[in-house]
Amino acid sequence: MSEPDDIKLMERCGNGDRRAFEKLLARYEKPVFNAAYRMLNSPDDARDVTQTVFLKVYEHLDQYDPKYRFFSWIYRITLNESINWLKKSNRLDALDADTADTASGPEQEASNEQLSEGMQAALMTVSPDYRAVVVLKHLLGCSYREISEVLEVPEKTVKSRLYTARQLLQQTLTERGLHR
Amino acid sequence: MTIDPKYFELIQAEIDGEIDAAGNAELETFLAESEEGREVYEHLETLCRSLDGMPSIDPPPHLKHVLLNQAPVKAAQRPSPGLLQRLLSGPILGYVGVFAAGIALALALVDSDQASSGALDDVTGLVGTMANPEFAVPKHGTVFIDENEVAGTVTLHSTGPILIVDFDLATRQPVEIVAGYSDKTIWFNGFAQLESTGTSIVAEAGAVTLAMEGKRRYAVYLNNPRMRAATIDLRFVANGAVIHEAELEFSEPD
Repeated sequence: MSEPDDIKLMERCGNGDRRAFEKLLARYEKPVFNAAYRMLNSPDDARDVTQTVFLKVYEHLDQYDPKYRFFSWIYRITLNESINWLKKSNRLDALDADTADTASGPEQEASNEQLSEGMQAALMTVSPDYRAVVVLKHLLGCSYREISEVLEVPEKTVKSRLYTARQLLQQTLTERGLHR
Repeated sequence: MTIDPKYFELIQAEIDGEIDAAGNAELETFLAESEEGREVYEHLETLCRSLDGMPSIDPPPHLKHVLLNQAPVKAAQRPSPGLLQRLLSGPILGYVGVFAAGIALALALVDSDQASSGALDDVTGLVGTMANPEFAVPKHGTVFIDENEVAGTVTLHSTGPILIVDFDLATRQPVEIVAGYSDKTIWFNGFAQLESTGTSIVAEAGAVTLAMEGKRRYAVYLNNPRMRAATIDLRFVANGAVIHEAELEFSEPD
């Protein structure tokens, strides 16, 4: 994550440089969309949240503090917007295992696709706070320190949330025969 | 045997690539002696590999243009709130106000022949239906627009005889959209906007023409009293040239 570049691009955006915004988009559109998708489990909702995130970035350029890294700012907006979206659509509660079920049975050998679908369904069974750490760690490749920066919580909390989230996921996947 | 919680932490740190040399040495010793520890390690590693292997999804192709088109325009156009918005400051009232403004705009601009036919009498009854832009009514199709000048989606829904054409678009310059319908029994029944008031609409027999710029979400309501199959032809025009054409189909209910 080439930080100086991001900050320079942000400054240029602030001066109305459209090409700088295009470059930021090229860099962050996909991770933002994917993070929202994993949080919301809906491509349509992820699209809307991505729109809101970039609109907010553009509208709040003047509020960006360069002492923080750009990615932590945009990922924080993404996760907050995703959680707001869940609140608005009354989907804040984690789904129970049956509701988020997939077609695979315990006796089936899980294909990669099944595993991926099962994993997404399992993700929806954990609360958004736990989902967020998993998304940051496994989808966006953030370190503990980076996750702590994005979520504005101590690293100790990050480790503990990750641990609990993984335990819950493991349990759900084992119940569905997708994890031994 | 119960594993000391500190080893869970070390196992997790090792798998996450966040362990220091001392921790690593301690973990190695522990794993060499504990079968249960090795099992916990393997399970967690397998889970993490599966999580890392979750595929990345490509965003819809038109999204980039939507994002590009919405942002600069929004930043450049920040007019001071109008009287209506200032008066109606709460979020719910704000919605109603915006819709009411949209309806007022539609009423003001709509073709006088149709206005006099009484076709707009029911419009006020539709004001509330846009409060939730996620229409909980049947969807008949969506077209994706991915041009430099305009990008986004147009979706056709219906509820009873009412056709709802939901526009979610972003443009980087003024764009005119002509939504034509050849069936003469269909008539314009209303217009509502979400979050903005910058779209103008002119309704004539057989077509509605919208003019917009920036990021806009709005819906055009058409009345299809006989619920016949219908085609809505969409034509997007910028600088006098047609930049995109698309069709939305409504099929007769079974």
